[in-house]
Amino acid sequence: MNFLGFVLAQCLSALSQAAILFFIACGLTLIFGIMRIVNFAHGVIFMLGAYVGYTTVAVTGSFLLSLIVAPIVVGAVGMAFERIFLRYLYGRRDGGAYLLLTFGLAVVLSELIRIIWGAQPLSAGIPDSLRGIVVILDQPFPLYRLFLIALGIAAAVTIWQFLERTRAGLLIRAVAQNSEMVQALGTDVDLVRTGVFGFGCAMAALGGVLAAPLVTAFLGMGTTVVIDAFVIVIIGGMGSFLGSLIGSILVAFVQVLGAYYFQDLALAFMYFLMLTVLVIRPGGLLGKED
Amino acid sequence: MNWKVNFGVTAGVCVLLPFMVPQYSLTVLIEALIFGLFAMSLDLLVGYCRLYSFGHAAAYGLGAYSTALILTQLQPPLPIGIVLAVLVTILAAIPIAWICTRSTGVSFAMLTLAFAQLGYAMLFRFRDVTGGSDGIVGIPRPSGPLGITWFQGKTGYYYLVLGCLLGSYLLCRAIVRSPFGAVLAGIRENEAKTIALGYNTRVYKIATVVLAYGFGGLAGALYAAFAGFASPELFFWLVSGRVLIMVVVGGAGTLIGPILGGVFFVFLEHELSQVTDLWPLIFGSIFIAFVMFAPEGIWGILTSRFNAKPEVPNSASGKETSDAAA
Amino acid sequence: MPLLECKGLVRRFGALVAVDAVDMSLAAGKIRAVIGPNGAGKSTVFNLITSVLKPTAGEVIFAGENITGLPVHVVAQKGIARTFQLCHIFPALTARENVRIAAQARDDQRWRFVGGGRVLSRSAAIADEALEHMRLTRFANVSAAMLSHGDQRLLEVAMAIAQKPRLLMLDEPTQGLSLEETDRAVQILKGMLSVGNLSVLLVEHDMEVVFKLADDITVLHRGRVIADGLPAAVKANAAVRSAYLGGSE
Repeated sequence: MNFLGFVLAQCLSALSQAAILFFIACGLTLIFGIMRIVNFAHGVIFMLGAYVGYTTVAVTGSFLLSLIVAPIVVGAVGMAFERIFLRYLYGRRDGGAYLLLTFGLAVVLSELIRIIWGAQPLSAGIPDSLRGIVVILDQPFPLYRLFLIALGIAAAVTIWQFLERTRAGLLIRAVAQNSEMVQALGTDVDLVRTGVFGFGCAMAALGGVLAAPLVTAFLGMGTTVVIDAFVIVIIGGMGSFLGSLIGSILVAFVQVLGAYYFQDLALAFMYFLMLTVLVIRPGGLLGKED
Repeated sequence: MNWKVNFGVTAGVCVLLPFMVPQYSLTVLIEALIFGLFAMSLDLLVGYCRLYSFGHAAAYGLGAYSTALILTQLQPPLPIGIVLAVLVTILAAIPIAWICTRSTGVSFAMLTLAFAQLGYAMLFRFRDVTGGSDGIVGIPRPSGPLGITWFQGKTGYYYLVLGCLLGSYLLCRAIVRSPFGAVLAGIRENEAKTIALGYNTRVYKIATVVLAYGFGGLAGALYAAFAGFASPELFFWLVSGRVLIMVVVGGAGTLIGPILGGVFFVFLEHELSQVTDLWPLIFGSIFIAFVMFAPEGIWGILTSRFNAKPEVPNSASGKETSDAAA
Repeated sequence: MPLLECKGLVRRFGALVAVDAVDMSLAAGKIRAVIGPNGAGKSTVFNLITSVLKPTAGEVIFAGENITGLPVHVVAQKGIARTFQLCHIFPALTARENVRIAAQARDDQRWRFVGGGRVLSRSAAIADEALEHMRLTRFANVSAAMLSHGDQRLLEVAMAIAQKPRLLMLDEPTQGLSLEETDRAVQILKGMLSVGNLSVLLVEHDMEVVFKLADDITVLHRGRVIADGLPAAVKANAAVRSAYLGGSE
């Protein structure tokens, strides 16, 4: 076997996984940056994206369309939730209320999904246009995974540029730093919050649509993912967009290595990673150095 | 003392219940009491420390599986088997508590969830022992010690569960009114200040997690021996969700509220599930409503309406009266 | 031997040096005031002494023991009690319970989770005494959140004295108090200090309070000690005057 090819295949596999993780994690970190809350429902949002994507494909036959429709639909759901429920809690002394509320959302959405789509896993499979193998250095590599990497890079660059170069991006960064000041300068901070929350959900949903052909859309896919996303955001720094990118790549590599060397322990391995990270950097949200 | 009268009357009514309800209702009643106990165990964390655990199913599952293994493999007398299972759960809880209490807030919640997920994964990893997705079936209720068999029948088992619930309640009540409990109140209200006063709050939190796991494990143990089987769903995150909902809706920080929450939810679920498939959705929505509009929960609302006495609160809802520090 | 000694305390936050080679000592039974313009580093020094922040360099010696960097609760157990600039109390608990929990902290049996009746009554007695001292007895059964700002600050002091400390550290105890509340607070403090063998470190902006209470004064400016000595000397010190020029008090 071509060792270099093997290594490359593993790397590409990890990177494609990182792409999906990135979509979820960047949403989580942006939401935290703006609102200082961890959206516990993020995993279920991801799951909702997968299911909506499946239905879009089932109805229209177009995977491309599902890439557009699912994020929009789920993003709208997210914005509605923020507008109606989360906003009600602003100013509450107890941070636990947010935690419980997003948890409640996770439960409700989870049940809705089960009611609407049923308990059986669903998958339309990898779309025909993206089926196929590409051979790199004598190693076969699925085209779909390359597509994921390409999409991930494109998204990362686009969002990064948006945050750094555009006025709206500047606004978002400003609100994340000092929302009161921005509000005093005349911006509707509430609108920014709703928008970012919606965007974060849309990104997670996109991750779901992309993941579904690989793992099928199934109940419970959100729980694992939300923990992964949380670990990534902790590693990369809560609220740091770049951190979510780096964290995603790191965690994906660990996962791929873990799956290779520990096989059936892979799931447990992931949790050990999580525990390790949180034990070393328990500060998490507060991030105090002391 | 007012509460003793209330307690005595409630206990008395519960003792008489098996004679007042049909046998098939007794099954639901037993499950309801078990869940009440489970909910109360979580209240120690959520209501008294404001530590939100999203993985309390782990305590339940640990208790259930320990009981399953102990009773099927060793066949000790049932009460002894349950005690052993609780001990196992407590032992397992110590490292879990140590790790989880390194953080607070969301990190704590995620860590507890991770442990529950880990437990779930472990069940499949060691399927030779745990039976994998099938779980462990055919859990016996061995008699003894001394040839005691009254808990082997349904009515007898009801009294076993009732006894455990009432006993656990009394113990928890004593704990939250103790000096230890006062420190928990301090941690909940202002942890930084509590540390500045000289308390090693970490140790208190670890102890509370272990206690919560102990009582939760007891609930799981009682369930396994009652149902006769233990399966991986017990570790599922929605179980953790359900019990958290019961605590919040029942009334966090009151002990009684979560017990009632657990009991009524089991009954409600039993009734609703025959009518509609939507009941988890209904529960989730009720939960959201309470989080937003009535965070003190049902019991919190009821007691604030009827309780006009000056309060020396030790709990989050401030509804308990202190007859110790008077 | 002084009760408390700070040797070369330094605390950096990135490029900002909040506390720069601060030396300070407090003799037992004395009151030292730490004053300075806003941002001088006074509260940071307090945080360094009580270990809420770890020093970048330097040592804190308390009663001959090096307590630098020990966990916060351990430092408190050594006999140091403090109040905070932003008043820290337990809002939902009654005033009495607030102080009782503080008193309980020094009880050997404070960990008891069953049958702790005697601990509760012991600490309750100390709490009542402390409330009495601070003239807050009438609020004993009132929820702390409902007290006025001034009374909350006094409650915090009550909590501190209930710990029966050797060193009492008060961080701007009169901030936000009205003139009469301030007078009352000073009277109470004076009365307390004359009775017990208490040593006090006091951060204050109100110069009248400082000159009424302090035996010695340390003046901080931009993290450095610019003057240290008897009140009269500090008052006359030119560097102090210029630091405060246009400053607030």
